[in-house]
Amino acid sequence: MPNEIILETQNLRREFGALVAVDNVSLKVKAGSLHSIIGPNGAGKTTFFNLLSGNIPPTAGRVLLRGKDITSLPLHKTAHLGIGRSFQITNIFPTLTVLENIRLAAQALGKDSFRLFRSYRAFPKYETRAWEVMEQVGLVNEALLPARTLPHGAQRKLELGMILAPDPEILLLDEPTAGMASEQVPELMALIQRIQEAGHKTVMLVEHNMNVVMSVSDTITVMHHGAVLAEGSPAEISANEMVQTAYLGHLYEDTAVTP
Amino acid sequence: MQSTLANRTAEKTSLADWWKANRGLLGLLILLIAFPFLLALSEGQSIGDVLANEAGNAKFMQGLLIEVFILAIYALSYDLILGVTGLLSFGHAMFFAAGAYFTGIAFKNLGWGAGQTLLGLVVVAVVQALLFGVVLPRVKGITFALVTLGLASVFHIVVQSTEMSEWTGADVGLQGVIAPEWLNTNTARFQLYLLTLLATFLVYLIYRRFVDSPTGRVCIAIRENEGRALMLGYNTFLFKLVALVVASLTAVLAGFFHTIHQPIVSPNVASLGWTVSALLIILIGGVGTLSGALVGAAVFRLLEFFLDRWFGNAANFLLGAVYVTIVLFLPYGIVGTWRLRSLDMAKGRARLMKLLGLGKKETGD
Ligand SMILES: Nc1ncnc2c1ncn2[C@@H]1O[C@H](COP(=O)(O)OP(=O)(O)OP(=O)(O)O)[C@@H](O)[C@H]1O
Ligand SMILES: [Mg+2]
Repeated sequence: MPNEIILETQNLRREFGALVAVDNVSLKVKAGSLHSIIGPNGAGKTTFFNLLSGNIPPTAGRVLLRGKDITSLPLHKTAHLGIGRSFQITNIFPTLTVLENIRLAAQALGKDSFRLFRSYRAFPKYETRAWEVMEQVGLVNEALLPARTLPHGAQRKLELGMILAPDPEILLLDEPTAGMASEQVPELMALIQRIQEAGHKTVMLVEHNMNVVMSVSDTITVMHHGAVLAEGSPAEISANEMVQTAYLGHLYEDTAVTP
Repeated sequence: MQSTLANRTAEKTSLADWWKANRGLLGLLILLIAFPFLLALSEGQSIGDVLANEAGNAKFMQGLLIEVFILAIYALSYDLILGVTGLLSFGHAMFFAAGAYFTGIAFKNLGWGAGQTLLGLVVVAVVQALLFGVVLPRVKGITFALVTLGLASVFHIVVQSTEMSEWTGADVGLQGVIAPEWLNTNTARFQLYLLTLLATFLVYLIYRRFVDSPTGRVCIAIRENEGRALMLGYNTFLFKLVALVVASLTAVLAGFFHTIHQPIVSPNVASLGWTVSALLIILIGGVGTLSGALVGAAVFRLLEFFLDRWFGNAANFLLGAVYVTIVLFLPYGIVGTWRLRSLDMAKGRARLMKLLGLGKKETGD
């Protein structure tokens, strides 16, 4: 079923005091699609992701995974449902090596985590998986360095590698290229696209670079003040007058869209 | 590509590597076993005198080292929860004291043997770890520290209360415990010395394996970034509980030996001060290093003993000065600082410069 809805939100809402960060968002994500969320700073994109992944509870509304309510599941269960989440602000194990960061990510969904008195070396499959992922994201040479000593761009790759290690079905990527040198961006985006297409994965992407968004997305949802302003294909979004005038026009002048 | 991946993964430790990594430890073990004999010989006693537990400096020094071993086991247990898992508990003394008091009561009031007492201690250890664990999901960081302090304070008050004096000796402490003959510190000092020495090494080796196990690695990840560990799919509560149970089992063992070795179990071992002792020991040795707990315990007890012998009343002041100096100049502790430097040499120049840049003060380079 190519058009199966894998992830859905129904009137999802989150308030911080008087501020409505996510305002009754109802959204459907097709399985195997690359679905981008765009919107100006403070639009509520990260908060929306936090609600999807269970990092914070919603004020109201529901999150459905293949029709099943996952709204109030504890945080550690999300990964076991095949949802991997990367963060806008790099979120890693700083003094552990790159290898160990990714190895731990691979071990998380295995069944060996309560082996107290055997060496981790007795379970080489996770380490092997970590090396595969490091090849994939290009961190093999940094494998034995403590994560905190990596340059920012490499830490972003590590952030992505930690999501990929358990091979999730759904990837929620919050500005994976944030702060990266611009010449590294196409490489990383190409990698994300390759992974999505080869593994038939569903990717939700928050991204500020409009050229990137327009070229990789199947569907784009535009958020503004917590609410959905528009939704459609890249062509529809760039043709949408409301989006153009109210939003794209001012905010992304320097990266203006050429449809 | 698969073969290179496999090769990288398969750097399993060979026997030669094991020997290389552990020869220092084995050497230390042999030296410590030989120590009472060497000391006896140097003071004109014979090997037989040591085996017969004859009075003398050799017997006295064994007693002092038994105290070091007990402290080392206790400090290891604190390092597991604070240094490895990142849980700040201010109630750790209770883990030790419950073991010490239970052992005393089992021997004295209940007339139990050592085996039965140790089994009872397992139950005590698990129960108190679960008690600490109950609050884990609700409180974090400093709040956990305060809640555990509260739990331990209640325990401290209870063992000191006059209503309990028949069992705990109230504020005087638990006295008149007769340990089984084969591990009695007066008549079987060398046996107890060997037993506590081997127990220390065994606990240390088990701990080293634990931090290298899939479970221990997750505990380290929790210390580094618990939110991330949760997001990866680890139920971090369960891992913290495991760490608490293992630490509690270890601490009651230290308490068990303490009661056997000391003529009196003072309520001080249930106080915040006793938790601070564990903290000081791992700060001196190096938080999260495990071997730092061993080094720290030796420095802590021997320094206290010799400063007291040489300087009498001024010892406490000097002790404080030494601790402050260590914490200021060796912020990673003795083992931590030493490792940082040896790690530098092993991992190539680029990293050397980076780490030296960070650790200039400690390495002095
Ligand atoms: N924990 C919080 N407490 C209070 N307010 C919050 C919290 N998290 C987010 N907000 C507010 O909610 C609004 C939405 O923030 P959010 O981070 O979701 O925006 P965003 O679209 O991801 O922005 P950016 O593009 O800058 O990443 C902002 O006004 C923010 O200040
Ligand atoms: Mg954001």
